[in-house]
Amino acid sequence: MFYQFITGPLLWLSFGIFFIGLTVRVVNYIRGLDWQADRVAYRTHLGMGLKGALQSIVHWLVPFWSVGWRAKPLYTTIFFVFHIGLVVTPLFLQGHAVLLKERWGINWPTIPMPLADLLTIGVMVTAVCIAIRRFALPEVRIVTTAYDYFLLLITVTPFATGFLSVYQAPNPGGIADFWIYAHILSGELLLVAIPFTKLFHVVGYFLSRGQLGMDFGIKRAFKAKGGFAW
Amino acid sequence: MPEGILCNKTPVNTKEQLDAVLADKGGKQYYEEMKHLDIDVEKLQKSLQAGFKSRMRTWLEMCAHCGLCADTCFFYLANRKDPTQVPSYKILSTLGKIVKNNGKVDNAHMRYCMDVAWSKCTCCNRCGSFCPYGIDMGIMFGYLRGLCFSQGFVPWELKIGSGMHRIFRAQMDVTSEDWVETCEWMAEEQQDEWPGLEIPVDKVGADIMYTCNAREPKHYPEDIAEAAILFHLAGENWTVPSQGWEQTSLTMFAGDWEGCKMMVQNVYAAIDRLKPKRVLGTECGHAHRATVIEGPYWVGRKDGRPPVPYLHYTEWVAEALRTGKIKIDPAKRIKVPVTLQDSCNYIRNYGLKDVTREIMSYLVEPGYFVEMCPNKEHNFCCGGGGGINGLGIYRQQRNVGLKVKRDQILATGCKLIVSPCHNCWDAIRDLEEVYELGIKQTFLKPLLIEMALVPEHLKPKEEEE
Repeated sequence: MFYQFITGPLLWLSFGIFFIGLTVRVVNYIRGLDWQADRVAYRTHLGMGLKGALQSIVHWLVPFWSVGWRAKPLYTTIFFVFHIGLVVTPLFLQGHAVLLKERWGINWPTIPMPLADLLTIGVMVTAVCIAIRRFALPEVRIVTTAYDYFLLLITVTPFATGFLSVYQAPNPGGIADFWIYAHILSGELLLVAIPFTKLFHVVGYFLSRGQLGMDFGIKRAFKAKGGFAW
Repeated sequence: MPEGILCNKTPVNTKEQLDAVLADKGGKQYYEEMKHLDIDVEKLQKSLQAGFKSRMRTWLEMCAHCGLCADTCFFYLANRKDPTQVPSYKILSTLGKIVKNNGKVDNAHMRYCMDVAWSKCTCCNRCGSFCPYGIDMGIMFGYLRGLCFSQGFVPWELKIGSGMHRIFRAQMDVTSEDWVETCEWMAEEQQDEWPGLEIPVDKVGADIMYTCNAREPKHYPEDIAEAAILFHLAGENWTVPSQGWEQTSLTMFAGDWEGCKMMVQNVYAAIDRLKPKRVLGTECGHAHRATVIEGPYWVGRKDGRPPVPYLHYTEWVAEALRTGKIKIDPAKRIKVPVTLQDSCNYIRNYGLKDVTREIMSYLVEPGYFVEMCPNKEHNFCCGGGGGINGLGIYRQQRNVGLKVKRDQILATGCKLIVSPCHNCWDAIRDLEEVYELGIKQTFLKPLLIEMALVPEHLKPKEEEE
């Protein structure tokens, strides 16, 4: 019964909040762009702007493509292991695809289990690295707040609990299926948290990078051959 | 609410006000009054509502606190990696707090904001090009300067600078008459060496209208003469406007957006009046930023471009060399190691990196040009940008900040630095004064005049019997 509820209505609600929330954020962001306040002629030079936006987004999406990523190789490695695991694992996990197949008969592509395990371990290990970095480096510590650790925690919990449930870790307090419930609920918490916290960067990244790319494409690097060398 | 006599929320608009602030040497009384200045919270809230929109709001909200911006900031590096110099910390602890508290901040916070906005950031925008999210803290500091200015928290020299622009439409007290006289004087002075040289004032329909920096007529009139010589050499059909000749903008450094608009309108009015095919600005970075890059937006031009093509001096030089309007004597090319200072304002923020290198290829014997590292759009600020060169109370911070440029120059092994930007030129001159490296900085104009081949018909005629 409880399982039905949290994988039924509660899941729908979480996805609803996730998608609607992010849509609202995207719409609000774009509506809040102001050519005169931002000093970027978005509309007049839309073509140049979109080209600049694409360049800016892609250079930072691909590991080691931007000058910035190359300047920090260790961090960049940690960063991409973390993010690739975060995105790929839940989307293509066999355990998730099974649900889609059972409920709606959709054939969803999957990745092999060992790879999923590797990616999950990657997420957990790099999350620890990111946390250590937060208090080890003075330049990061000074901008770090408890909230940053909280967000890291709610991001990693679905992965840790999912991993424990797959490998059938002993259930705390003898609660049957504890880890799978913890996994589902923490996953739903994450979905709901994304639009309301700085985790909204799942779309915000594209908006913000895109905006700066437009700025450089239209205005600040329009004289440079090939655009700004990100 | 207490407003100072000199330090207050009202910009300097009259000669009397200006003289009063100027008379307060070093701003002693001015800064004393600032300590008691009240904050107009309502005004601050209105400004935030009107100007703090999704782009910056998202930047502040989304900052991942990753600290990757730290190493990109020359102030952070020059101050032995002091964490309070991390760009994200600097902006979160200043503008971030104003936004979080919706403008309800006290006098001490506004003075802290002023210190950070003018002594810990030159708005060079380098951090923005290294942030994975593309958070440009230089832009936010520019915005913060505007908030500070509107509340009266602006360094003394920039209160004056803004006032100068508002009264004289120039960063210094140079009137239209002074300017025209200086042009006439400079043209006259050159007659022996350059017979027929002219500085045409207010000629309608010229190919080029030339604009410059008020300190040229005020302190270095030879710079105007040099510009004239080069136009003469290149055979250009050019002119200067009697009004609207001043291209710089201390109002931009001050965060005086209303003053910025006045300044740009004045230059664009000259364009409307004289209808030149193109406009050319002097070797100045921020003047280009103000008049060509940001200016169109301040005056509300929807295409974000000036009314006619408006070149930076380096663009014209490259063109003149490329087309052979000015020819360089190969024997006179630079044959000592020489490096190039990339100005943030027209390299990182306008993309002229190839143009300046093209110029170097004409002026320097192959093998002698040494690039700085990093360079081009990733170059470090000279250390004197954003107005800090002229701010007495932040002299010490400025001098510490110069260390990064010093080390960059030392690493090239060059003693000569080509620096086609007034602020960079000043910063490198001061760098030499403080650190005594035995280096020399130069604009392009004197180099070109020294190296150019002079066609026979432009040479002075031999004395006839």
